[in-house]
Amino acid sequence: MKTSPASCLPLILGIIVLGIPACSKKSVRSGGDTQALQEEMARGEMAKGGAKEGTSPSFPDTSFSGREDANSLRGLDRNPSEERLGGNAGSQGGAGRANGVIAKADSGAAARQLAEIRAEQVASVAAGLRDVFFAYDSFSISDEGRHALSGNAEWARSNPYAQLKIEGHCDERGTSAYNLVLGEKRAKAVRNYLVELGVVPTHLSVVSYGKERPFCTEHTESCYSQNRRGHLVVKTGK
Amino acid sequence: MTFRAVVFVILSVSIGVAWIIESGAADVFLEATRPDFKRIPLGIAAIENVGGSESPEGRVKLGTRIEEVLKADVRRSQVFALVDLPSLGIKVAQLGAEPDASFKQAAENGVSVIVWGKAGIKNGSKDADLSMDGYVYDTGSNEVVGGKRYVGSTSVVRLMAHRFADELVFRYTGEPGIARTKIAYVSELGTARELFVMDYDGYDPRQLTADGFLNLMPRWSPDRRFLVFTTYRNRNTQDIDMIELATGKRWTLVAQGGLNITPVFSPDGNALAYASSHEGNAELYRLDTRTKAVQRLTTNAAGDLSPSWSPSGREIAFTSDRGGGPQIFLMSADGSNVRRLTFDGDYNAAPAWSPRGNWIAYVCRTSKKEYKLCVITPDGQKHLQLTTGLGVDDSPSWSPDGRHLVFSSTVDGKSQIYMINADGKDLERITFIGTHNSAPSWSPAS
Repeated sequence: MKTSPASCLPLILGIIVLGIPACSKKSVRSGGDTQALQEEMARGEMAKGGAKEGTSPSFPDTSFSGREDANSLRGLDRNPSEERLGGNAGSQGGAGRANGVIAKADSGAAARQLAEIRAEQVASVAAGLRDVFFAYDSFSISDEGRHALSGNAEWARSNPYAQLKIEGHCDERGTSAYNLVLGEKRAKAVRNYLVELGVVPTHLSVVSYGKERPFCTEHTESCYSQNRRGHLVVKTGK
Repeated sequence: MTFRAVVFVILSVSIGVAWIIESGAADVFLEATRPDFKRIPLGIAAIENVGGSESPEGRVKLGTRIEEVLKADVRRSQVFALVDLPSLGIKVAQLGAEPDASFKQAAENGVSVIVWGKAGIKNGSKDADLSMDGYVYDTGSNEVVGGKRYVGSTSVVRLMAHRFADELVFRYTGEPGIARTKIAYVSELGTARELFVMDYDGYDPRQLTADGFLNLMPRWSPDRRFLVFTTYRNRNTQDIDMIELATGKRWTLVAQGGLNITPVFSPDGNALAYASSHEGNAELYRLDTRTKAVQRLTTNAAGDLSPSWSPSGREIAFTSDRGGGPQIFLMSADGSNVRRLTFDGDYNAAPAWSPRGNWIAYVCRTSKKEYKLCVITPDGQKHLQLTTGLGVDDSPSWSPDGRHLVFSSTVDGKSQIYMINADGKDLERITFIGTHNSAPSWSPAS
């Protein structure tokens, strides 16, 4: 493939235009990104308090036109012109530039979450709430489970201002995605039985953690059976 | 016509015509996608270390590093068979921009392509710029058919090798190659699970979120700019968020209460399919990313989840437990024409439609109650089990060339990420750092 110097010119210009600014601006941009990210997160916090239902009113266009970007291959050349592989901007649309994204690294989010989880645990232990355990692949409540739930229902009826969260958990076997569905079925089975026992439905919420928050991490049946649970938590925050 | 298409046509015409006459390899473009495609024997003579070639980490010289990465890429490409030139008794005397006398000897031994080059810190370069020259000699045409010259900081040393490998694949197949692709995944940090992105070979992991709780199952936008995923807002509600990789900006796309899981973009990026239980049990929905209109696709008392689009965007494979255990179903993208695809075993889930369209990978529970990778043709006529042994395999995701799958497995104890050929060969573990790596998603090619 013969290429005249003139026809190479736009290519070279393109490389210069796309490559160099991306490098030189990097240090400036990373600070700006952090700020933009914080603003975005702050907006997210506000949005959460407002509209609860439906989908986000606006997010960027994700349509794919098949257009080329700076990272498209240019083919081998008998007289190769210099290709500058910039910082990480050249590595791939987006992913490479993730360089600057250590999103709010150690922003305190993890510490705050941990503190809230501990507060919930303390409140739940104080309330004497008991978990319900399930058989493999199953979301039906055993007699033992019913017994545990009658105690939980009693507590809930005598603490009418408490909000209870019912977490559905699964063991590590099976797919992550299907275990989220199974976990929800378990949590809802617990909720329905508590409602049967006279707990006000609006005092109960359900959330499925599938197999993502195991209590026990060994690959043994005794561990699996501890992880197949409906876990009741007194909500302390929002 | 796009730039790549122009290049492709020029390459096809000029190279193709030359080959019809000179090497008889004209139909190589068609052959590369066929299962019986014979790999092209390729030898890498050396990437010589020239000038200042000490790498910052000091252990391996830069040229040697590029050669290592390039060889690994070529080996994984499934387009080339990497030939060890010294074992054929081929010693390359001198490497410049011209072919060495020994290349003829290689040709006689059946080697089709010889690659060599040099790399080092450019003399007099202010920014300690690394420069790499690579050359490609085709034994069929008995000439150097082309080369590349890359410059950049020493931090892009692996990228130089990956990009050169992709140019080789592009030259011989017309496809962009996968050496510059990325894998998004979930990794454990304390009790939290955060999003990460790494190179396709497991190098250079980068953390994207630091929320301190659960972020699950990322999927790429077709233009590689965004990931969509499930996030737990304040631990109590599940939303579907989108993050821009270049900036870390986030948007909440779906916040409806209940489960909001397994989001995935359509191949044209104009729609997002996902599962939500906000109307009772998990059902599939389609969000138009331009009008923001939501359409419900399934209506069934059972759980429907894990949608995966066919490459044309006309059909969707998904998991449903209508009928008891989870099985794979197919439907048209508007929710009509639902039919069951899998009938073997009582647990089949997490379908992933190959970008070539010819296979759907999924997790199958075997008669020994192990969760392994299986593939099935969309007409249900053929199915195969790809992995065997212990461990729970999960979350299969195809490479954009349809030749590889990436998935998570607990075969080594904790969940880690593995790569395997679409025919079940060449299993390779690609994550070694971290206590729990899961939910891999392979990026589109660029």
